[in-house]
Amino acid sequence: MQPFDLQVPRSLEDALALLPKERSYDGAQLIAGGQDILTVMKNDIAAPTALVELDGLVPGEIEDDGTGGLVLGATATIQEIADSGLVRERFPSLAEAAKSIASPQIRSRATVGGNLHQRPRCPYFRHSGVSCFKKGGNVCLAEFGFNKYAAILGGGPSYFSHPSDMATALIGVGASVEIAGADGATRTVALDEYYVLPDEALDRETVLGANEAVTRIVVPAPAAGVRTTYLKFKERESYDFALAAASVSVVLDGGKVASAKVVLGGVATKPWPSPEAEAALVGQEMGPDAWRAAGEAAVADAVPLDMNGYKLHLVKGVLFRALESLV
Amino acid sequence: MTEPTQADGAHPRPGDTTADASPGRTELSRRSFLVGAGGVAAAGHALGSGQDAVGSGGASATETLSGTVDLELRVNGQAKKVAVEPRTTLLSALRDRLEPALTGTKIVCDMGSCGACTVLVDGKPTYSCLTLAAQCRGKEITTVEGFGSPEELSDVQDAFCEKDGMMCGFCTPGFVVATHAALDRKPDATLDEIKYELSGNLCRCGTYPHVFEAARAAQARRSGGEGK
Amino acid sequence: MANSNNGAADPTWGPRKDLDVLNRDDLRRIDGPDKTTGRAVYTHDVRLPGMVWAKLVRYPRARGTVKNVDVEAARGLPGVVHAAAVREAGETIAFSGSDSVVALVAGETPEAAEDAARAVVVEVEALAPVVTADQARADGAPVVRQRRRRPPKDNFSGLRENGEPDEVLEAVAGAAAQVDVTVEIPTQHHVCLETHGHVVQPGEDGEPPVLYASTQLVSVLGQQVDDAHGKPRVLTPHMGGGFGSKFSFGLEGKLAYELAHELGRPVHLMLSRSDEFTMGGNRSGSWQRLRLGADAEGTLTALHLEAEKHGGMGGGAHAGAPYHYEVENVASSIQSLHTATDANRAMRAPGHPQASFGMETAVDGIAYQLGMDPLELRKKNLTSPTHHRQLDRVAQEIGWNDHPNRVAPGKADGGVHVGIGFGVAGWGPGSRKCQVDVTVEPDGGVVSATATQDLGTGARTYVAAIVAEELGLGIDQVTARIGDNELPPSVPSGGSVTTGSSAPAVKHAAHLAREALEAKLEPVLEAPVGSYTWKGGRVSVTSDPERSLAWREVCALLASPLRVTGETQKSLYHGRIHGAQAAKVEVDTLTGRVRVLKMVAMQDQGLPLNRMALRSQINGGMIQALSYALLEQRVFDAQDGYLLSDSLDTYRIAGSREMPELVAIIDDDDERDAVSGMAEAPIIPGQSAIANAIYNACGARLTRMPFTPDNVLEAIHGKV
Repeated sequence: MQPFDLQVPRSLEDALALLPKERSYDGAQLIAGGQDILTVMKNDIAAPTALVELDGLVPGEIEDDGTGGLVLGATATIQEIADSGLVRERFPSLAEAAKSIASPQIRSRATVGGNLHQRPRCPYFRHSGVSCFKKGGNVCLAEFGFNKYAAILGGGPSYFSHPSDMATALIGVGASVEIAGADGATRTVALDEYYVLPDEALDRETVLGANEAVTRIVVPAPAAGVRTTYLKFKERESYDFALAAASVSVVLDGGKVASAKVVLGGVATKPWPSPEAEAALVGQEMGPDAWRAAGEAAVADAVPLDMNGYKLHLVKGVLFRALESLV
Repeated sequence: MTEPTQADGAHPRPGDTTADASPGRTELSRRSFLVGAGGVAAAGHALGSGQDAVGSGGASATETLSGTVDLELRVNGQAKKVAVEPRTTLLSALRDRLEPALTGTKIVCDMGSCGACTVLVDGKPTYSCLTLAAQCRGKEITTVEGFGSPEELSDVQDAFCEKDGMMCGFCTPGFVVATHAALDRKPDATLDEIKYELSGNLCRCGTYPHVFEAARAAQARRSGGEGK
Repeated sequence: MANSNNGAADPTWGPRKDLDVLNRDDLRRIDGPDKTTGRAVYTHDVRLPGMVWAKLVRYPRARGTVKNVDVEAARGLPGVVHAAAVREAGETIAFSGSDSVVALVAGETPEAAEDAARAVVVEVEALAPVVTADQARADGAPVVRQRRRRPPKDNFSGLRENGEPDEVLEAVAGAAAQVDVTVEIPTQHHVCLETHGHVVQPGEDGEPPVLYASTQLVSVLGQQVDDAHGKPRVLTPHMGGGFGSKFSFGLEGKLAYELAHELGRPVHLMLSRSDEFTMGGNRSGSWQRLRLGADAEGTLTALHLEAEKHGGMGGGAHAGAPYHYEVENVASSIQSLHTATDANRAMRAPGHPQASFGMETAVDGIAYQLGMDPLELRKKNLTSPTHHRQLDRVAQEIGWNDHPNRVAPGKADGGVHVGIGFGVAGWGPGSRKCQVDVTVEPDGGVVSATATQDLGTGARTYVAAIVAEELGLGIDQVTARIGDNELPPSVPSGGSVTTGSSAPAVKHAAHLAREALEAKLEPVLEAPVGSYTWKGGRVSVTSDPERSLAWREVCALLASPLRVTGETQKSLYHGRIHGAQAAKVEVDTLTGRVRVLKMVAMQDQGLPLNRMALRSQINGGMIQALSYALLEQRVFDAQDGYLLSDSLDTYRIAGSREMPELVAIIDDDDERDAVSGMAEAPIIPGQSAIANAIYNACGARLTRMPFTPDNVLEAIHGKV
């Protein structure tokens, strides 16, 4: 890592005032758990001249919102989410997603806010010697190079697959983020509108401004009778990012699917809601035919690269197995 | 896609880091100082610029740690003074900065992937390579040395010896700390849960089954009241 | 020396039932307390007064021409004590590996060294990378290995042909059953958790230089070092894994050694993880086409093998054909295909896992084609009764006899299926001469000393245990000293030779010590040498146990320390072991995900010195094979030649949740009164057994490693 100053502000407002208005390679950045930003800095993807400590300035509690939903403080750790009785009871898919993340050591420090803002894991992006679109260069070496782990949806001009499990799971339960900005301004953005595609912006993965911070994640009460799961396929079960993951919710009416919510992870340049898969499920008998149809619909628009065509099967497989588990 | 017949010679490609070394290339505005072998010149930041806190804007209450700073860390129950930079990881502070060095905590991947550097911070298992020493101000740090000594092994350390939970031993301190954390967290963990709680630690020699046996043995001793 | 007495006899390991220290299931490693408490000092942990932190600067791609290496900016940075180019303008960087190192820097702190490395400006004109086999094979590909005499025309070398290919192919074509299979095996890395490197204390004032080295050859490492500053002392108290990759002082050693003497300060130069993947060695990849024929009864009749060894700038390794199986008519053509990548090094059983994967795949194919039990077909074509015994036992342990798919595989029908597969191994562990000193002090202290290194095998423990056994002591009464080249010479730890070399020498030394002590006892207990029993800390006359002395009383008879030197004795080691493995897997044929449920390995070894450490070693072989099978793959960017798998995130090795139930069976029917090493054999057949188990589960033949969902789904559905 390059040298930097560690700023320890007394308030969130002070913290945000220390951040630049525009993103840059060496602009100051926030650090909470630090489990992604420090790897980004070690890989020389960014070299902030200052890190601004968020410790104690942003809530970390997991709270009942009084209406059956939850409010997650952005600095709640992944382990706290996995362990929370409230989360497990109301949103088992969030607990499953949290449990699937990295390792105990990462989970004990990484925050849910940080998880939503992880930078890509593409090996080209992470390689300190390589330039790419996402690092201000003008090529995506993965497009014609090693793209086994790359996106099959939402790709171009960059093809990384978005790594956040919590984002996929939180979109699956209709969550929003509360954002604090400069001068005390706050705004709320639905998570399914929070992420941007590479053809919209290359220097970031979200609509968050360079001098803003997510403070809370608001999860509305689940629909009555909804069944939800988060299923993640990893190459290495011990500790890995998703090859393919899915947050799947269904409400059944008799044997039929009354409503469905499908969000895919690990296969697109952002967490990928699939209204196509949902449409294929709704009104159908909850069974293998509908599960297969949902898989086909989910990848109908996918464009695999040379080495990641297997993800077409994997998406179908993860949806099938996730839906199967909800019976 | 490969182009194996590509002729020898410069292979300039926009955004290609090697080509960036040639003068006059400006595509990388954001990283215009990017050079050669992944190298980046010290980005206009004053290296070793002074000691201790300086207010960033005069009026601000923000504390700034800059250059080389003297920290007090609580390691294995003792207050230790150590001079670090803000960028110094806890791992490096323990191994390379403390006098005498605490080298039981190992450096293997230096990227939060292997667990050899696992320590407890306020009781929680933590990759010390992905934690800044300065983030640990006021926190209780426990390293492998803090659990026991060769003369007085902790129950987990003794169980690792009993079950041959080590070969080359380079991953062992991390596994010992992670096992302590796992058993504290889940005293009645099943074998699958032990595997899950130890999934942030890698071993290359292949000691896993004996590590699991050691964890089970330590667990049994605790439930039987034999733990130290 | 005292072995000239009448009663003297050659040492033997003796009846197993009489052993108190050796061949036990509960013998603890003597360095366990140091390793588990973090007190064991590895090279990476050495801290010396005035030590500087050195770091290599690498060109991140494969091939290029150096235009400039500018270290001026680096030299001006605070805390930087050294920055110098090691490559000059105009020089060619021929491959990704040690050749990529362009500069060496050092600082007062690790951060200062990092700053210096970052500030070195490197200009290299890139050349076509030639990092993949396809690139290396292509017509007109740049030739990556240059030779002054007879420059090669292409990237192939070392063609070795055996047999009559036309005849063999004709025999295969006419056989009742035929398999024609092509397998591809990626390059594997050793992934030593402690990277390669040294801490060098320069020689000065007549004191020799001291090399703290993470090495597999403590005794002879010094021979690789320029001795202008005196013959170096080499110290390796502990080392964090080698697996065959640590036989060389290396560029990193040479640079650290020179820098330490230039600065007159100790230098710490350990490779970074990325350096380690780039220049720390590998197991060569492989491409093989096997055409195998068998008669209707399943007897293998003809085998044709074409193989490429992908060892980068090295020759690569392949153990040849047929691998363990008897085949009447064999022809093979094996050659190296070079890429501009780090040369392969020895890695646990070099060439054997590759050969096993090809052969076991083909043999398995024949069995199913004939509708025969693959276990029975294997036995039919293996001559060693040891292999038969071991296959039967692992089959029993894994549940083969109750398994439904014994002659036909399951189906890839979208369901989750369980399968079982097999593979066999073999190794000649060998032995080379080494020496051990045993010293007995008048106060009862015992030291067993030899230069050898403990890679994690438990060598340090048997250096003490064998002496304790011979003298009837507890292991805690014997001090083992190893890892120091001033101790009696030992062997480089390669090819499983260490145990077969060191242990007999320890035994011999202990035996000489015992005889020397018995000579001292002769006037006291009035019995000749060779007529004593040493047990439980006492010596007694075998024929009259009443006549006895405690250990301390025996030692008190010594006027001065007794020191004897033992040497490797042929009668105490043997050179041939076998091995069989079985794997049980679960395949989700919908998603291509493979989980290994259970692995069983059985190994013969002669006398097990330490059964618990032996099981650790066998488990380690199975686990490395499982990791190789399921996860490991070196990846280069073919376009620009970047090594993409240069971290433990991008080069995956198996973790705790990949662990199946592992059963390591020690073959106690092997009654040889001799010892052998166990590093190589158990790593050989695991990936073959797993691939065969996947086929058995679902009928998908995995010919390309690793068996990740992409490759499994391709085997099921074809390329998408």
